[in-house]
Amino acid sequence: MAKFRVMFTCLLLVVLMVSGCSSGSSSNDKMKTLTLWYWNRSLDDKLINLIQTQFPGIRINAQKIGGDFKSKLKTTLAAGSGGPDIVAFNDWVTELFPSSDRFYDMYDLGAKDVENDYLDWKWQLGVTPEGKMIALPIDTGPTALFYRADLFEQAGLPSAPEEVHKLMGTWDDYFAGGKKLQDALGNKVKFTDNIGNIYTQINAQSDKIYFDKNENFIGEDPSSSMKTAWDLAVKASQMGLLANASTFSSEWNAAANNGRIASFVGAVWCKEILMQSAPDTAGKWRVARAPGGDGNNGGSFLAIMKTSQHPQEAFDVIKWVQNPENQVTSFKDINLFPSAKKALDSDVMQQKEDFFGGQATGEIFTESARHVKPSYFGTKYANLNGIVGRELSSVAIEGKNPEKAWNDALARVKKELLR
Amino acid sequence: MGEPLQKRTHLDPGSSMQLPERKRGLASEIWKHRKEYLAISPFYILFAIFGLFPIVFSMYLSFHKWDGIGEMTFNGLNNYQFMVTDPEFWKAVGNTLLIWVYSTIPMLFFALIVAFLLNATFVRFRTFFRIGYFLPNVTSLVAVAIVFSTLFSNNYGLLNYLFSLFGISPVEWLNKTWGIQLAVSMMVIWRWVGYNAIIYLAGLQSIPTVLYEAAKIDGASGVQSFFRITIPNLRPIILFTVITSTIGGMQIFTESQVLVGNDGGVSGGGLTIVLYLYREAFVNNYFGYGSAVGWGMFILIALFSIFNWRMVQGGGAKDE
Repeated sequence: MAKFRVMFTCLLLVVLMVSGCSSGSSSNDKMKTLTLWYWNRSLDDKLINLIQTQFPGIRINAQKIGGDFKSKLKTTLAAGSGGPDIVAFNDWVTELFPSSDRFYDMYDLGAKDVENDYLDWKWQLGVTPEGKMIALPIDTGPTALFYRADLFEQAGLPSAPEEVHKLMGTWDDYFAGGKKLQDALGNKVKFTDNIGNIYTQINAQSDKIYFDKNENFIGEDPSSSMKTAWDLAVKASQMGLLANASTFSSEWNAAANNGRIASFVGAVWCKEILMQSAPDTAGKWRVARAPGGDGNNGGSFLAIMKTSQHPQEAFDVIKWVQNPENQVTSFKDINLFPSAKKALDSDVMQQKEDFFGGQATGEIFTESARHVKPSYFGTKYANLNGIVGRELSSVAIEGKNPEKAWNDALARVKKELLR
Repeated sequence: MGEPLQKRTHLDPGSSMQLPERKRGLASEIWKHRKEYLAISPFYILFAIFGLFPIVFSMYLSFHKWDGIGEMTFNGLNNYQFMVTDPEFWKAVGNTLLIWVYSTIPMLFFALIVAFLLNATFVRFRTFFRIGYFLPNVTSLVAVAIVFSTLFSNNYGLLNYLFSLFGISPVEWLNKTWGIQLAVSMMVIWRWVGYNAIIYLAGLQSIPTVLYEAAKIDGASGVQSFFRITIPNLRPIILFTVITSTIGGMQIFTESQVLVGNDGGVSGGGLTIVLYLYREAFVNNYFGYGSAVGWGMFILIALFSIFNWRMVQGGGAKDE
């Protein structure tokens, strides 16, 4: 009896282990199963459900990966197996360029045929310096100036989007307008949110930031926007235009809702955040083209892992999900701002929004999306941005000497590049 | 008596002639007790997979450069060298020690008082209070950090609202190094006072009442018996709580991360060692370096625990 129990326990353990490792193989041989990893709201769930009807021979196994998506993807890549066929990337796509051999080059699968359907700058973000196309665009995050029309009016500034853009076409003019607004409204209102956002947005409008395509550091080159962005961000701080509320913190939400922030430059997806965090200001916000030019923040991609058994099918599915019509559907369903040119021309972009006083902000954002400059971010973009951001917040909040902060940032960046 | 002796000679390491036989002996011993070994094996198997392997692997990793996906390249002691020359690492060490001091001393002090009160006969509903004091410890840390972030919020926080009622100008807590450290320490204190109080309470209850009675007969006051009886008898328990709070205090992470983000807030006031490790490994993708920081932290904790042990135990040695 005792022996039987021991045997039984061992058997149970083995069964549990084996069943834990197998990946639910299906009995139907004709169906090809494609596993998809994405995170909540990175793709339209309704469209994913339609894949099966669109491709009768394909069974889609869509898995919403919660928590730290990037870490899980990296763990899977490190393990070398057990990954999905199709995987979503966020704007950290460049971090994966050194491992581009782990993904299919979609140029080999027919991506050239659809290249012209998409915004060129967005498409280029998924192409490695060696010319491999590893990530196909999902959505974009074109930037624009969000501002409080009522506060602008009170301060004697223009409040219509075209006029605002005419007056505040450059960052210097934008800051001058801010000075005027704060002088008129007293100390209660700050013109914009924080120093890091100004720095990030100016770089987002540029085509040369930290690295060239060979991963050489170009931050000290006059063509790079790094120093310009730094100087302008410091200038805004010295003019006292900043509320020093870090982006989308509870502090920021409260400040936006209480009318303490009069404007900020942000991506199209800030609309939803703003609507949720500042409901008391509904109808008072407007959107204009950003000072200094158009830029992009964020936006995701789809890629095919080298471990996939059905790369061609995977590519066909991706191509279909991200075709212009389906991008319009995704925009209607969950506000994914399109990366396909034709989708930008759609009527849904002309819809008026009550939160923005009846303005059709889609007109501004589509224009912005069309004019973003192609840029190469480099694998260490986020690391460098973190270093500079830390020094900038020391300048804005603790009053660190900007000259010293710049030198410290540069020294730290150079140390980082040697790692 | 005969059998153990025989066994000892059997396993005598001096006689190399018996080596093969000894091996066979050990194997047959294990085989003889295979059921027992099998019964205790799940723990050791799981520990080997989820405990031992990661520890050994992180040691291996700390001598390599690895971005988490690509090739690992051996780079000797470079990670350790970078660590000891990185001012941010030492800032993180300093912050961690400061937060540890700010939190542990008041925490253990309050815990002792709470335990003493819970042990006193005049307190009613003692079980209710015991549960009440322990509850913070089982509360989700992220939820706690979010609540504290609204308390300490710069402009719209509850604390600043209270200040405004009394005409005190608001303090931008989370824009100052000390403010961030205070907020993190408060979280630690709030969360761990009850836990340590329960441990002290167990210690208090194990002190024989005859000691107090004898002291009372000899005319000792309450304060005297607290310092002459309670504290000396609690010394091993206090040592235990100091060491566990040192180990815990050196590993503060979630509080800072949720409160002020991956960079530790303004000028990195909330950048603790683990937050620094997390940022370097999982945000900046230096997994080898992260492992090296982990081992650096291990050494620091070990040194610190020895130091604490000497401190707390050193006083006790005299009495014995």
